[in-house]
Amino acid sequence: MNCEEFVNSGLASAAAAEPETAAAREHLRTCPECAALYERLLELRGELRELGKATTQAATPSRVEMRLRQEFRTRHKTDKNRDRAVVAGWMLAATTMVLAAGSMVVWQQRQGNHMNPTPAPVSVSAVANGPELGGTLIAASDDEQFALIPGALPGLQDETSVVRVQMQRGALGALGLSVNDEQASDIVQVDLLLDTDGQPQAYRLAESTD
Amino acid sequence: MQIESQERDDVLLKRSAKGDEEAFTLLYRRNQAQIYRFALRMTGRAWAAEEIVQDVFMTLVREPKKFDPTRGPLAAFLYGIARNRVMKHLERQPREFSLEYRSGDNGTSEIEVPDERTPAHWAELHERRDCVRAAVLSLPLEFRETVVLCELEEMSYEEAATVLQCPVGTVRSRLHRSRALLLAKLEMLRNAPKRANAGY
Repeated sequence: MNCEEFVNSGLASAAAAEPETAAAREHLRTCPECAALYERLLELRGELRELGKATTQAATPSRVEMRLRQEFRTRHKTDKNRDRAVVAGWMLAATTMVLAAGSMVVWQQRQGNHMNPTPAPVSVSAVANGPELGGTLIAASDDEQFALIPGALPGLQDETSVVRVQMQRGALGALGLSVNDEQASDIVQVDLLLDTDGQPQAYRLAESTD
Repeated sequence: MQIESQERDDVLLKRSAKGDEEAFTLLYRRNQAQIYRFALRMTGRAWAAEEIVQDVFMTLVREPKKFDPTRGPLAAFLYGIARNRVMKHLERQPREFSLEYRSGDNGTSEIEVPDERTPAHWAELHERRDCVRAAVLSLPLEFRETVVLCELEEMSYEEAATVLQCPVGTVRSRLHRSRALLLAKLEMLRNAPKRANAGY
């Protein structure tokens, strides 16, 4: 083994007090320069070990642990708050969706009612011939039953009002009803069902004042 | 919740990520010293080492999911963060050695063992130690960390390779080069006073 080989192999295995291979040990005996180098290397390893031991007990000051724990608490408190905010946000969104869906259903039902109305406050009967109006009009026996005025739409609105008026029977002709001319001068009381625009939609004869 | 002292680091980290402060504290106490020593020996400054340890564990608090247990132990992960912080610190610092962490400074670093040696002997010992420390701190970074881990921290080549994320052979060759460099630097440092005295 020459000096270069010793440096390459011997120094690399300088963990032991003696070189590991017989060739390296033999070279050490014959080469004073490499022997001196090897001595210095062992000395260096000892010094490094001493240096290591000198700082073996070194530890982070306790203030670092305090700071880190404070940061840890702050961070996880913030995380919890953020989680709560997220949950609250989702709940709010869900509530809004439910309300919107409910509103939609109610709106659709109302739309449906307008398309297929049912006369809630009053009922309207079909027009029939009767003796009181010369065999042309007759009020239903039920006080709440109205007869549709010709030309009025069959649907009744929710908000209607009933107005009682006294008039000559002949004036019913203005509403499109046929009136017997012989009884045209009779005074009659008529209940008129008015829609929101004030237009009469149906009528019923309350009583004759003759 | 009571935590077993032998509980694995990755289990503790999971608990810590869920807000278990006790788990985090145990994790910190288990790992802080080695990271601090590494940073201290790499930078030569106690304040820098303190800052680096704080940064390393702050990363663990903020981004615990960065640690992947399949890629190695938590200690290696922490060393990895510490190495990055050390590099950043050294990039910021002027190229000079600090002998700050010798005995008594900041009350943090060295534990002196009293013996019967004379003050002259102590002075010589300190001088030699300072020379070795200065020589270590003057090594290029990759050689310095190899020396710190293998010689000062007395890790095996395999352990050092895990921390440095390189093959064992690389650790071996770096250590070999480091020893040669250290011998040369120590020669230079120890002869410098003699040369200076010879000038008068």
